[in-house]
Amino acid sequence: MTPGPAPTAPAAPPPSAPGSAPPAGERAAEPAGGGVGDSPPRPDGTLKVTGEFAYSSDLWAENMLWGMTLRSPHPHARIVRVDTAPALRLPGVHAVLTHEDVPGEPRYGLEVRDQPVLAAETVRYRGEPVAVVAADHPETARRALERIVVDYEVLEPVCDARRAAFDPDCPLVHPPGSVPLRPEHNPRGNVLRHQPIRTGDLARGRTVADLRERADVVVTGSYEVGMQDQACLGPESGLAVPAEDGGVDLYVATQWLHADQRQIAPCLGLPPELVRVTLAGVGGAFGAREDLSMQVHACLLALRTGRPVKIVYNREESFYGHVHRHPAHLRFEHGAAADGRLLYAALEIVLDGGAYASTTPAVVGVAASLGLGPYEIPHAAVDAYGVYTTNPPCGAMRGFGAVQACFGYESQMDRLAEALDMDPVEVRLRNAVGRGSVLPTGQRIDAPLPMAEMLERARALPMPPPPEAAPGRVDPLALPGGAGGAGVGASVVRGVGYGVGLKNLCFSEGFDDHSTARVRLEVVGGVPVALVHTAAAEVGQGLVTLQEQIARTELGVRRVALHPADTSVGSAGSSSASRQSHMTGGAVKAACEAVRARVVALARARGLLAGEGGGAVGGADGGVRLAADCLVPPGGAAPVPLAEVLGDAVVEETREFRHRPTSPLDPVTGQGSSHAQLGMCVHRAVVDVDVELGLVRVVALDAVQEVGRALHPRQLVGQIHGGATQGLGLALMEEVQVADGVIRNPSFTDYLIPTVLDVPPMRVEVLEHADPQAPYGLRGAGEPPTLSATPAVVAAVRAATGRPLTRVPLRPEDIALP
Amino acid sequence: MHADITLTVDGRRHQLRVDTRTTLLDALREDLGVTAPKKGCDHGQCGSCTVLLNGRRVVTCLVLAVAGDGAEVVTAAGLAEGGDLHPMQEAFMDHDAFQCGYCTPGQICSAVGMLDEAAAGWPSAATPPRASAEGAVAELDDTEIRERMSGNLCRCGAYAGIVSAIGDAARRTHAAAASGIPRPAREGGRR
Amino acid sequence: MNPFDYRRAEDAAGAAAMVADNPAAAFLGGGTNLVDHMKLGVAAPEVLVDITHLPMDEVEALPEGGVRIGANVRNSDLAAHPLIRRRYPVLSQALLSGASGQLRNLATTAGNLLQRTRCVYFQDTSTPCNKREPGTGCSALEGYQRYHAILGASPDCVAVHPSDMAVALTALDAQVVVQDAATERRVPIARLHRLPGEAPEHDTVLNHGDLITAVELPDMPMAVHARYRKVRDRASFAFALVSVAAAMSLGADGSVSDVRIALGGVAHKPWRALRAEEALRDGPATEERFAAAARAELAEARPLPGNTFKVALARSAITATLRQVHAEARGGDGHGGPGGHGEEQR
Repeated sequence: MTPGPAPTAPAAPPPSAPGSAPPAGERAAEPAGGGVGDSPPRPDGTLKVTGEFAYSSDLWAENMLWGMTLRSPHPHARIVRVDTAPALRLPGVHAVLTHEDVPGEPRYGLEVRDQPVLAAETVRYRGEPVAVVAADHPETARRALERIVVDYEVLEPVCDARRAAFDPDCPLVHPPGSVPLRPEHNPRGNVLRHQPIRTGDLARGRTVADLRERADVVVTGSYEVGMQDQACLGPESGLAVPAEDGGVDLYVATQWLHADQRQIAPCLGLPPELVRVTLAGVGGAFGAREDLSMQVHACLLALRTGRPVKIVYNREESFYGHVHRHPAHLRFEHGAAADGRLLYAALEIVLDGGAYASTTPAVVGVAASLGLGPYEIPHAAVDAYGVYTTNPPCGAMRGFGAVQACFGYESQMDRLAEALDMDPVEVRLRNAVGRGSVLPTGQRIDAPLPMAEMLERARALPMPPPPEAAPGRVDPLALPGGAGGAGVGASVVRGVGYGVGLKNLCFSEGFDDHSTARVRLEVVGGVPVALVHTAAAEVGQGLVTLQEQIARTELGVRRVALHPADTSVGSAGSSSASRQSHMTGGAVKAACEAVRARVVALARARGLLAGEGGGAVGGADGGVRLAADCLVPPGGAAPVPLAEVLGDAVVEETREFRHRPTSPLDPVTGQGSSHAQLGMCVHRAVVDVDVELGLVRVVALDAVQEVGRALHPRQLVGQIHGGATQGLGLALMEEVQVADGVIRNPSFTDYLIPTVLDVPPMRVEVLEHADPQAPYGLRGAGEPPTLSATPAVVAAVRAATGRPLTRVPLRPEDIALP
Repeated sequence: MHADITLTVDGRRHQLRVDTRTTLLDALREDLGVTAPKKGCDHGQCGSCTVLLNGRRVVTCLVLAVAGDGAEVVTAAGLAEGGDLHPMQEAFMDHDAFQCGYCTPGQICSAVGMLDEAAAGWPSAATPPRASAEGAVAELDDTEIRERMSGNLCRCGAYAGIVSAIGDAARRTHAAAASGIPRPAREGGRR
Repeated sequence: MNPFDYRRAEDAAGAAAMVADNPAAAFLGGGTNLVDHMKLGVAAPEVLVDITHLPMDEVEALPEGGVRIGANVRNSDLAAHPLIRRRYPVLSQALLSGASGQLRNLATTAGNLLQRTRCVYFQDTSTPCNKREPGTGCSALEGYQRYHAILGASPDCVAVHPSDMAVALTALDAQVVVQDAATERRVPIARLHRLPGEAPEHDTVLNHGDLITAVELPDMPMAVHARYRKVRDRASFAFALVSVAAAMSLGADGSVSDVRIALGGVAHKPWRALRAEEALRDGPATEERFAAAARAELAEARPLPGNTFKVALARSAITATLRQVHAEARGGDGHGGPGGHGEEQR
């Protein structure tokens, strides 16, 4: 904030070791087991509770400069002129770069290369980067930004997603043919992907009107989901250090090191191997760090100035500097027989992708393929659209298109129950999918998915005590409105609601989804130590713990160390789509198995193991087990210490892990087995609503989730709590307010996320029906509860108020007032 | 414009020259290299930068360093003495009261300061006004903990663990909870 | 942030003189609002006069029965003070319903009174705002209006005052003690803050250099039963959509003998609901009359398209709070039944 002397002390470990977890052995209290199924402490826990864990914003390097970004004040404008000279004249300013200074590819993008590194002719959203500055102090950099002259010619913004999708007279955000959209995504106008699905009679030329006549009851609804922000508490930040070989080393908080590398290097005009990316401490992600933010800018400035450059976004900038959850407009129609069996569904889903594609095509694919939710519906027509507008770009956020769809289909299930005068759980049970069911994409569910059991268990969970009936002393917090004591007993009504969410886990639609692990076993200080090296991003989900657990279980060692995640090992893919336990877990397991086979062979070669054979059988190699730092021969022979087996040998293996292949969706019929794995969570929300003041207190938000196998039960519950909390936030308070393309609430005073007071105790029951396709039978767990929590809370408020409540987040005025 | 100030941070006394515009948070992080307090919003809206300033929990992003001349600051790093974790830190570990950990140093300092406030008999918005009027010391149940901790946002949603960790630490340490930690300074409001 | 000189004052009069002499000088209290505004570019003082070391940090009973609160008393200390908890619990409640524990440990009594609006346009220096830059226009008139005024606004400004504490002080008929370079004077709290009119850049009637040294609460027996209610978009750590501070005393026949009502979140100043008080005083304490009083107060409401709901919300909040303080005044619990605690303070 203030100009001044250089820091008197390094603010963080040198960038050679930022944000990495300490070796497991540094924990004084090593758990007895600590393998798969236990709940050992997080290896990075001690550093995190003492504040010594180095996040990307904590990094520091000798001679470091500060980078800062000039952003467009207009949502849509032509850049007429840029003059950087006044900024360059400011003492302490070392570089001012515009699009003309980008040596390589001018644009990048996760799926579509459409986003300029720095805007050239046109800005398409408010906050789009136009220039970057490096200076000796943040305050100097800020003043330099003020001196950059940019003349704009303001253009008409495109703010309405439905208009962008359907109005042929709507201005185009991108000129036709200027962005490399894929033909199979049916791009047209501002639509960058339209994914239709047609099944049953609706695939055979019949119309929705035909089916409507055959249904005993028809429910229709228009629903809206506001724009949600990931609101990671750690802002976008990183440190780029120029290297002597002409390359650059980037230390950054990200979800996917190799995707960063793949996008950064072409923009810099460098081969990927000269752009080395290392994970710095990540202060939350939730999808916000899947896209690039400051990465290319910091590297450009570092290469230009020859000095390390650090960029840290401030909070307001962070709201503009990362993608958000797509706002959605949903028009759903469901028809059913009098007994509640669904006959048909017709869905229109419009997702506002904002100015650049980010992951919008994949989000559309998920919203379309899971738009019907976990229900068997013989005839379906789905049309999901992702559109360009000049609103802030939208992309990945926990739940990824399935959240929006889930609010729609679960709202519809409650409407159907009401129309049929049927219990909401009963309606869901009548139509529930299970193993063997077929999704509207034609994909058969081939793993256990006991939805009916989950619903029954959720219904059977104990209810919280009823709201305190007047008279009597009332705990002010036991009423809606929180500590303001706003609620009063007399006008408080209780409601109960259910939500079921179906989420694809891992990447879909034919993506070559894989992860890589390198595992080394050697003797250090007399004891065997496994070193696990992956490029997987620990973002708080506890993957570092899981990697150690897997190594302990597979190699039977007590001590496991983790190499910092970086690009010197193969890609681990993204920490998203609930996929890392499965994918990087699978890779670590496979690498450990390969190491184990070599250890067994080594033992045999050294005469420490009698007999023939080898190869993995049932998880053990020729009946040989590794446990308690020993090699345990079959048949009760005495264990041999691994230290003795290994001696000076270093056994290292690298393995890639892939889930089974998936298929793209047919661009016309939407058919294709697009998903590798499915996860499900059922939520039951209990709310007290002050119907006079429109205040909601969530009394309970209990979950039943199918997880396949709990690798770390305690962290797993944390994931389910966290997902549910973000779903509760979307239900009741979280919305990025965008008016005319401008975010009106880019602060934590105005963009509200749940506090500890807003979140009730949350009971969690996990079911463990192993998925035979996955390592240990596991399923990722982070996303499904984010889907189901939102509609469950809204359903409970509807039950209390009788209001239709078709838009989230709910506001007091939606609930209480005319 | 600059000023020479003295700060005692985690037991170490520092003399430094700061630009008057420097916040206490930036002085700690950028001038002294003490990065335990995190910058989550820089506007007093998230609690990530909480430390104990002269024994009281405060956000450091809205305090000018120059106005804190002579102050004693304890950060999460300073709570762990001689390598031993503070009971609150141990409880956060035991209850998995964090995920990404970015809010955690602030949560822990806030929790330590909050327990002292509760021990001093301070009411909260969760304390029934009548009980408060009668000077009753609120029992520090989960509701009180939640209200008193609502100034520390956790986006990972580790709140369940945070509440149970604080309750556990309060029980475990009970009277000793404040030992080694200065009591809330009373100079601003003598009785 | 612009460079500034930092000074500490020796005494109140000296502090007032230091600021009065320099149009670009400002007092620094807890800093929770001013430092934020300096970061945002909303405020750019060239001299900060730190007054937190001045001996204005006592809460003391006054001989004539009231209480004097020093301007530097921190919000958390004030909320916890036994005199306040016992005699003016509505003030304690209002303080504790605002901000967070960490902020209350910094914020001072005077600073809380003088905090400025949270209007998003006031805080965004890239947008027009008559309060920040007179004559530039009001962006909120066509913009985001959720947290804006429904009472007493002008075409030049529709911002609201954000303080909870000031709403309680307004209901309590507090006096603000003001020191300038030469003299000390008292300003009734209801006259401290202004309506925007054509000069929204002035939040209060204070002159540049006027220093608030204390707030005095009159002896008010019915304050024992006063309560504060706050409606907001989040259960804690959020500003009010609407808040109500109310006190009531009952005659021997159970009728309303006296009443105080103040509203927050609805106007450019803490809003003393005189019409509602008038409608209630000297009549039976019934639900119908509570609702009628609320309607009377809001008859003059002029909501914006984006905050029409606040009129009904304010009506409901007033009615609900009156119901509660009525029950408190009867010795009940605010929920229609007999009290569990035989509190007989009067």
